[in-house]
Amino acid sequence: MALSIGIVGAGTMGAGIAHVAALHKINVSLYDINEEVIRRSVERINFEMKRGVDKSKISEEDMKQAMNRIKKRTNINDLDTCDIIIEAVLEDIRVKKDLFKKLDQVAHHTTILATNTSSLSVTSIASATKKPERVIGMHFFNPVHLMKLVEVVKGTLTSDETVKRTTEIAHQIGKKTVQTKDTPGFIVNRVARPFYGEALKLLSEGVASVQEIDHIVKNSGGFKMGPFELMDLIGNDVNLSVTESVYEQMYHDPRFRPSPLQKQMVEAGLFGKKSKKGFYNYEEL
Amino acid sequence: MSKQVKSNKLKVVSKKDTVHHNHPEGGKHLVCLLGDEQLVKEYSTTFQSAGIAVLELKSLASLKTSAKKILMGFELSLESTELKLTNLKALDESLPAQIPIVSNAVTSTVLTQAQSIGHKERLIGIAAFPTLLENKLVELTPSLYTSAEIAEYVKLFFTGLKKEIAVVEDSVGMVMPRILCQIINEALFTVQNDVANPKDIDTAMKFGTNYPHGPIEWGEKIGFKNIVTVLDALYKNHGEERYSVAPLLRQMAIAGTFWHKEK
Repeated sequence: MALSIGIVGAGTMGAGIAHVAALHKINVSLYDINEEVIRRSVERINFEMKRGVDKSKISEEDMKQAMNRIKKRTNINDLDTCDIIIEAVLEDIRVKKDLFKKLDQVAHHTTILATNTSSLSVTSIASATKKPERVIGMHFFNPVHLMKLVEVVKGTLTSDETVKRTTEIAHQIGKKTVQTKDTPGFIVNRVARPFYGEALKLLSEGVASVQEIDHIVKNSGGFKMGPFELMDLIGNDVNLSVTESVYEQMYHDPRFRPSPLQKQMVEAGLFGKKSKKGFYNYEEL
Repeated sequence: MSKQVKSNKLKVVSKKDTVHHNHPEGGKHLVCLLGDEQLVKEYSTTFQSAGIAVLELKSLASLKTSAKKILMGFELSLESTELKLTNLKALDESLPAQIPIVSNAVTSTVLTQAQSIGHKERLIGIAAFPTLLENKLVELTPSLYTSAEIAEYVKLFFTGLKKEIAVVEDSVGMVMPRILCQIINEALFTVQNDVANPKDIDTAMKFGTNYPHGPIEWGEKIGFKNIVTVLDALYKNHGEERYSVAPLLRQMAIAGTFWHKEK
């Protein structure tokens, strides 16, 4: 029987996961409380797949079939038959806990409950359910259809069976997996902290400018993007909040101390690309 | 370290490949290299493939005899030890006053290093760190003393090698080595805390955020010892806990290699 996944939250990440899963012949139930959000989300998936067709990455037939596999859902009870439900809502522990409590009641008892959190504790989210052994982290990266990785995050009480099945499902979606314990930032968001943190510190110490640091990191280090370009793309508000979250959870380990400079940028509304101004100016002249 | 001068003769230079630099005295294009063995090898290979004659000095004995032919002196020791200062002094005393001396400034500022020589204006710093010369940009840093002519001359030399130049402030770690060493340090903390195994950490950073290499395989290539040297210098210079070395990284630096943890 074909695998079926439920996705809760039809934002950027939810849409991205639905997109790749459907292309890998998996039935997707895309759920959101807001019908309009789902409509726009499916439109966006359609747009992205069309681009894939234009670039000859997928055929028109592939696209048609994939789009047919995505079902729009506004009733959470409709997710009861899914093999796995992947949550991709707001990064807010209260919101996620409330949702998992509900999913625990709605979902079939064998269904895996996965969270796409990037910086919250999987163990803490699992504590809202009666069966924490079936709760796991499944951390996708943005943009989901381009980034190959999924971090499979084992909470304190997650069962080995849940880890095994989740890993298999991730592979079926065409992803590479790594396994990580439920610790702040998991692997990527933890090991990448200094990429941003040291760059911000170098800037505030006046060692080099934003442009110079980006230029050096790309051309001396061979990185695809410089730290400031990347912060602008991710959003300085999002980047700061991940740093703050890791810093808090690590009980203020100085290695993770956020930069006052970035905080000030966020306060000034200089979020980056999405607000047209960040470390760089994106306003059309 | 061997006292014997292994290669105090000019390396073969093909005439048509010769990069054109005007030696102030109209002599041969000859660059002499001193210091860290790994870096001397990387620099020597790069220079030679661009047609520049290289003199790898294993001891200072032959420096005086070839001094007149030398266009530029490089001191590449990463660590600022007595040996490095002795090398800098010897270069300063042997080479004609207008010849630039380029020194590895990753673990100590050029300003500090300049205190050990007479012609402070000819000393300029470089971010010489294993694996970075594979890429197209070279980080240079002048001190407060460095003359504009020297800086310009060294820049032109690297531009002639088709390298881009970035000039940064004279600061321990410079830009790329500092960011890179901190990433690798955090990767080792992550292994040490048993969050994930080394292979998964490398995979995660390459496929989750497009790093050119996994931090642990990269660290192994650079040499864990060298990463510890940079982090210790940053710690000493800044006096901040954020530069404290992962105990596992320090062990790997002593062992010389990474212990591949099987899981």
